[in-house]
Amino acid sequence: MQQLSDRMQHFFMTSPFDVAGLSSALWLIIALPLLGAAVCGLFGRWLGRANVNLVACASVLGSFLLSGMVFWAINDRGTIAMSYHGMEGSPYALASDYGTWFQVGAFTARFGLFVDHLSGTMLLVVTGVGFLIHLYSTEYMSHDPAYARYFAYLNLFVAMMLTLVMADNLVLTFVGWEGVGLCSYLLIGFWYTDAAKAWAGRKAFITNRIGDFAFIIGACLLSLWVWSFSVQAQEGNFSAPGRSERYRRGVSQVGPLNYTGLEATARLIAPGPGVSKADLNTEISTGPLKGRTYGAVLTAVMLLFLLGAAGKSAQLPLYVWLPDAMAGPTPVSALIHAATMVTAGVYLFARLGSLLVLSQTAMITVSLVGAATAIFAAVIAFAQDDIKKVLAYSTVSQLGFMFMAAGMGVFWAAVLHLVTHAFFKACLFLGAGSVMHGNADEVDIKKLGGLRQQMPWTWVTFLTATVAITGVLPLASGFFSKDAILHGLRHTELVQYEWVPKLVWGIGLITAACTAFYMWRLYFLVFEGERSKDAKVPEAHESGTAIVFPLLMLASLSVIGLVYALPLMNGGGGGEPVMENFLSPVFFHARHLGVQAGSFRGGSAEGGWVPLLPGWGLAWVIALTGAGFAYWLYMVVLPRERNLAFPFWVRRLQAVVRNKFYVDELYDAVIVRPVKFGSFILYRVVDSLLIDRVVVRGVAWVTYQVGSVIRYFQTGDAQSYAAVMAVAVLAAVAYAFYNFR
Amino acid sequence: MVPIPNYLILAAVLFCMGMFGVLVRRNALVVFMCIELMLNAANLTFLAFARMRADLYGHISAFFIIAVAAAEAAIGLAIVIAVFRSRGTVDIGDIKTLKH
Repeated sequence: MQQLSDRMQHFFMTSPFDVAGLSSALWLIIALPLLGAAVCGLFGRWLGRANVNLVACASVLGSFLLSGMVFWAINDRGTIAMSYHGMEGSPYALASDYGTWFQVGAFTARFGLFVDHLSGTMLLVVTGVGFLIHLYSTEYMSHDPAYARYFAYLNLFVAMMLTLVMADNLVLTFVGWEGVGLCSYLLIGFWYTDAAKAWAGRKAFITNRIGDFAFIIGACLLSLWVWSFSVQAQEGNFSAPGRSERYRRGVSQVGPLNYTGLEATARLIAPGPGVSKADLNTEISTGPLKGRTYGAVLTAVMLLFLLGAAGKSAQLPLYVWLPDAMAGPTPVSALIHAATMVTAGVYLFARLGSLLVLSQTAMITVSLVGAATAIFAAVIAFAQDDIKKVLAYSTVSQLGFMFMAAGMGVFWAAVLHLVTHAFFKACLFLGAGSVMHGNADEVDIKKLGGLRQQMPWTWVTFLTATVAITGVLPLASGFFSKDAILHGLRHTELVQYEWVPKLVWGIGLITAACTAFYMWRLYFLVFEGERSKDAKVPEAHESGTAIVFPLLMLASLSVIGLVYALPLMNGGGGGEPVMENFLSPVFFHARHLGVQAGSFRGGSAEGGWVPLLPGWGLAWVIALTGAGFAYWLYMVVLPRERNLAFPFWVRRLQAVVRNKFYVDELYDAVIVRPVKFGSFILYRVVDSLLIDRVVVRGVAWVTYQVGSVIRYFQTGDAQSYAAVMAVAVLAAVAYAFYNFR
Repeated sequence: MVPIPNYLILAAVLFCMGMFGVLVRRNALVVFMCIELMLNAANLTFLAFARMRADLYGHISAFFIIAVAAAEAAIGLAIVIAVFRSRGTVDIGDIKTLKH
């Protein structure tokens, strides 16, 4: 048995592929969906529905297979990312550099792709879930005439997300970042002939843009920060001589925003015994940031990235676009707004983990934002009646969980929750789509019910996914990944702000209870009980294979995923959770740097099964409480008392919650109206009046008036010309006469 | 004897009348007559100065002016006839093609 498991381990951890060849073929993973998008978009009308489906699904499947090969290769310890330009190569990674993009003074941006364990995980999630959703869409969108455009956008989205995940520097990541924002806009407003849906797309894009703006400013500040550090390093501040030269050369050649370079900078700048003489409290000595300390600028950068991530990952205050994004087709909601795009913010913080842990203020802010978002969205989900809106707010809430974890430095748990969330949330969204498909696009859960018998496959998968997200039975992955986050939060010890992780942990527990409540409410109202009298169709029909198969796959993955959270690996004293062990090459430095920089204390948390059990027990009790309350309320109390009149304050509260705490109205009054008014002023006063009337037409008017005066000189009458000549001669004679007297 | 300045004043007055006619009169032939008047006024000036200086230089200039005036009249009248043939009028006010 031991020999078999050793042989299996050896098999899976040895790459059968040629590493160099695979590295140089990394671009294919992005190119395949991009090609699919071009073909579907340009030639879709001539290809026909079957061909478009084939091209779109095949391109994503091809990417998935390539990602699988890459993933296998990076399990091999001997796979070392090619070390270029003096930076140390990292094991368990593949990298490829495709040349310089642009170079402006001291700033270089290169086309480079880098796949380590974190990127590899994301690759598999994006392409795998993406493929299943493409399959699902072939049947879901089969009645839609614009299917070619749909698949083109979907493929483009996958290509952009892959760029985001595989890029090795912040600039290329930003290309993918903006690309997924664009595709999100295109897909949300897919049925653009309906004005409300088009505006939902516009709202998503504009809110994302605000985040992008913060991202750009953060990236620029960060590059200045790295540049100042490398210049200061040149002045011999490093105690190890060769290191300075290698570092500077590396940074100047790959550019200041390369992730390997950023991690190297973080390792050099964190206070440590004799590593460098410039540390977080040194003042910057050159350049535009002169006079500020490295630590302060880094905190500012991280807060700006937080705003950017908040825009993309729908955190407070920029979450408002996600519920409205449900106007798009359901597979789009599943792919973009559950599994992939919204996780970009979490991915960004995981990538910049080494920098995040150096700034304790930023860590605390990220966690608190995540916690606030989680509880806020969970409460709003209590009173929503639209299936997709409940799931949308659930997504916002779960993303809050991931931010909570990332903020406190428990990156592996955030990534694990990201992966499991992708599975069960996509399963939930696709299940909701199946419900809508079978009920003539009914989204109001008060008008559904009793689908358990009528749509068995959908019921089974939806139930599995609900169990996964709420953690009612410790049989599905969501329970373990959420508990991994809570466990990590409980055992984080921040220096000087010990109450923060405890507070965040408490909010996490409350949110878990809320999650259980609203998800089971959704399940009970849709699937259990009797069919509502207001239903549009008398009998719901189960959906076809192309819809059911992805549901089954995702539900199975939701269950199987629990393995990643179990402490099965050697290391860390006892047993280390599989995911933590898997991601340790990526986050190893971040943990150490955090301790070095004095952000948190190195936990001497023991591994193994025993310390996890109390957390599991508590989480289970909380989930059961939430679910039980939902059961009692919706299955026992309400059906019995049809005309129960709630007290006035309950109804007012319910109205406030259903209206999302009027946040949209607040934004409208405080931000949107003044901006619209400002642009109205600019249009009427500055453009219409000043520029059009006064300057442009005014110049023409003045010219006309002057011309109509001067016109009288050109009479065409020879005698008047002669008269002028005579006057001039007389004047000349008089002048000569008086001057030469 | 008539004092020289009187001749000069007469010439000046004739010149001004001629110039006034050139600028104001509308008939081309009348304009030519006024031009001749101006030339004769210049002639008179030259002769008056010649008399004053008691030499022949003024007379020579007068001969030149007479010859030039004759030639110019010939050509000018030819132009007027050509204009009359093409436009049917010798009214200068009607010949305003320079306006456009």
